Amino acid sequence: MTVTQISRRNFIKLSSLAAASIGMGKTIQWAGVRPVYAAELSPELHLLNRVTWGIRPQDIIRIQEMGLEGYLDWQLNPEVIDDPAIDEFLTQYPVLTYSRQQLRDTAAIDYSLVHDPALWNRVYRAIYSERQLFELMVEFWTDHLNVPIADLLSEKVMDDREVIRKHALGKFRDLLFASAQSPAMLLYLNNDTNDKEHPNENYAREVMELHTLGVDGGYTEQDVKALARILTGWTVSSDGEFTFSHDMHDDGEKTFLGVTFPAGRGIEDGLQALDMLATHPSTARYVSQKLCRRFVSDAPPESLIESATQVFLMSEGDLRQVMRHILTSAEFNAAPNQKFRRPLDVIVAIFRVLRDGIQIQDSSIPVWWFLEPMGQVPYYWHPPNGYPDAAGAWMNTNGLLNRWNAAMLIPLAAEGWYEGMQLDLGVFGPAPATVGELVDRVVQLVLASNIDSADREQVIYYLSDYGDPNQPVTEGLLQERLTSLLGILMASPYFQWH
Amino acid sequence: MITAKTASRREFTKTLGMAGVVGLSSSLFPRWMPRMAFRPKRQSAPGDVLVVIFQRGGMDGLNVVVPFGEGADYYDRRPTIAIPEPDGSDRTALDLNGFFGLHPALKPLHDVYQAGQLAVIHAAGSPDPSRSHFDAMEFMERGTPGEKTTLSGWVNRHLQSSAWLNDSPFRAIGMGTMLPSSLHGTVSALSLQSIADFHLSGRDDQLAVVQRTLASLYSVAAPEDALGIQAAEVFASSEVLIRLGQAGYTPQYDAAYPDSDFGRGLQQIAQLIKAGVGLEVACVDIGGWDTHEDEGGVDGYLALNLSDLGQGLGAFYTDMQDYMANITVVTMSEFGRRVDENASGGTDHGHGNCMFVMGGGVNGGVHVDWPSLQQDALDDGDVAITTDYRDVLSEILMKRVMNPAIDQIFPNYAPNDRGIVGAR
Repeated sequence: MTVTQISRRNFIKLSSLAAASIGMGKTIQWAGVRPVYAAELSPELHLLNRVTWGIRPQDIIRIQEMGLEGYLDWQLNPEVIDDPAIDEFLTQYPVLTYSRQQLRDTAAIDYSLVHDPALWNRVYRAIYSERQLFELMVEFWTDHLNVPIADLLSEKVMDDREVIRKHALGKFRDLLFASAQSPAMLLYLNNDTNDKEHPNENYAREVMELHTLGVDGGYTEQDVKALARILTGWTVSSDGEFTFSHDMHDDGEKTFLGVTFPAGRGIEDGLQALDMLATHPSTARYVSQKLCRRFVSDAPPESLIESATQVFLMSEGDLRQVMRHILTSAEFNAAPNQKFRRPLDVIVAIFRVLRDGIQIQDSSIPVWWFLEPMGQVPYYWHPPNGYPDAAGAWMNTNGLLNRWNAAMLIPLAAEGWYEGMQLDLGVFGPAPATVGELVDRVVQLVLASNIDSADREQVIYYLSDYGDPNQPVTEGLLQERLTSLLGILMASPYFQWH
Repeated sequence: MITAKTASRREFTKTLGMAGVVGLSSSLFPRWMPRMAFRPKRQSAPGDVLVVIFQRGGMDGLNVVVPFGEGADYYDRRPTIAIPEPDGSDRTALDLNGFFGLHPALKPLHDVYQAGQLAVIHAAGSPDPSRSHFDAMEFMERGTPGEKTTLSGWVNRHLQSSAWLNDSPFRAIGMGTMLPSSLHGTVSALSLQSIADFHLSGRDDQLAVVQRTLASLYSVAAPEDALGIQAAEVFASSEVLIRLGQAGYTPQYDAAYPDSDFGRGLQQIAQLIKAGVGLEVACVDIGGWDTHEDEGGVDGYLALNLSDLGQGLGAFYTDMQDYMANITVVTMSEFGRRVDENASGGTDHGHGNCMFVMGGGVNGGVHVDWPSLQQDALDDGDVAITTDYRDVLSEILMKRVMNPAIDQIFPNYAPNDRGIVGAR
């Protein structure tokens, strides 16, 4: 192969990102964070990039038919969206609809009968559900209210169904109360054993630091200790349900966030405290800021955080209204391609590209072969803060190499590399006549937009003898290089951003 | 099942370049690309290889380096989890100096202690009062307690400020899927989970040309962005890692690393040190220390985690004994835990904690300015901090790693020399 010349490329550099601190202060030099073709990305494609797990041609048709606002409103109302693929999935895995007791009984027989479908449920719905924004909200709250599945298998399945999914686009207050009475959360953060003799502060601290006020939200160590006492007795019964134990509850007087809680009360103590947290201005700001970080950019503009906070407060934490505000804001529109895909985003996006032709029987292929080495197996983040959001946490050599390998290996399902996964590339239609047209077709399928002309040349060089875009596409060429062409584009820098 | 078709069958015609610099084989890069890794910018570091172990979750230092000499002030406050006073058996604390003893699960470390190559520091930590895991970890790893605006980590600032040059892609390594905050900064560090798996996969007949295309798409010859820098690091390091992966690794002196992420991480660090690829600092995490519940005493949850820690460090010490004169290992955790046991048979977030320093240059022994566990000596119910963790790290950096630029690594901090390590 001869490569004669590489033309100089122009890169759009956003000065606002130069050396910005990202998330928890990661300091890779960001001067060159490259929003690929930011200027050319239409508002429709930008919105699809953020409210889906990867753009499919069908999504583009849909948003053109419905209009941008119509599409967004449709996605913000998941209850009206038919989801036949997921209905079918749930009939295939009835364990996902079992009661708490059925789940416990099943897990007692064989842990994997519950565990494997629970993980696959996360990934499968992201790939196949029509309620794409809803699944992204589920992902957001799964991190925000993180409960690792280890040791809490049936509890986490219930938590996903009854807490996260029930309220993912509802009212924040309902979500918080559901979580605070979720056996999964109570057991994970040890509030089940928080009693008046020796309070356990674990949940009390994290519910303020991570779920509501944020670490700088204006509480003290004394408030942590007071809230732990307030929440004594919020525990889990022997049959695995939330229960309030008067015997464990400290009914003495407490002072929490400057408010006196009178002596002699029971569960009202905790209900009042949670209500204070749910409606606290620090909570509105902390949650809004996190949503902006997830859906807009790693360092969202202060103006947007502020306006989203106001919407949060005025709507009493109506998450639909907050999300609608964020996703229709000028700040959102100005931030295309600024989010670095997390590993789960990458894997799901690869499968969404290939969705029409791929069959996955063995869920361990996406979950354990590909997500595990990248460090984002669903429900496997142990600390209570959830998988990191910002690019700095994920942009490293191990992660990048594993992205490349996933991109190169998954299309090989078309060549019989897997027993538990097959890919029929025939569904994508007959191949175009020339190498240049083939590249353009695959670029459109994988990236939903164009690439830099110099990069296009490089990809054409990969397919052709002398970089001639008019070289005919032969059957031999397709057999030799089509899967790798798909892989190269999914491994490219373009695919890592959305 | 995935059939195993990997890059492993490729031939590697290039051996290591000058002074062990990573060679980029011509199969990896088009001819027009500059051979960046051949720039002669490598000087061997003058000091120890530094291995930094972060115990995430807040280790309960009072049950790890047990102040049995406190008597009732320790035992009465921990009715179900306390570690008994040493009686010479393996069911009690392992005596260090008549006042402190190691948890019996740390027997391998006790052996290192008796060999004079383990320093035990207690009532140490980051002085910021935060009991938040995430704040406390960031403060500690950035090296500026209480300062949330510090963007780089202390290890990275050490590398930035060193007087010597080393452009090996293996200069700084974080074991695992993510880099720790201490390694974040302008000096690029390699994150590495598995040497054996660090290679591009796909169809054998396409690999070379796929690599060339990816190298071009990522502009690795002259990276223009943060992602391109990572891509360049992948290419620069993968040849050596593939070779090391193929060679395999057998620890020396029958050292047996535990079959855990921590054990595998240490073993791979050992392999890289012996391979002479330019490694200066390696960071490895060990998690699971947030023992709010069912912590256990001599047996139980904490004991299991300590077995992993102790066996890992013990195996590393055994395996690396011929190299230990030029290695310093240091452990830390974001905070210790409350003196009082809680209602769940565990302990909540506290403050002062213990640290270990292991290596040939260590002044073995107990280095403790003990504040006592009497109620009025406690810091909000927790062990007070009398040794700033930056004192420990500064001494290692200055005397062992040979970087005196503490003012850049720990700005606005004047470290105290505690005599924990000797000069090289």
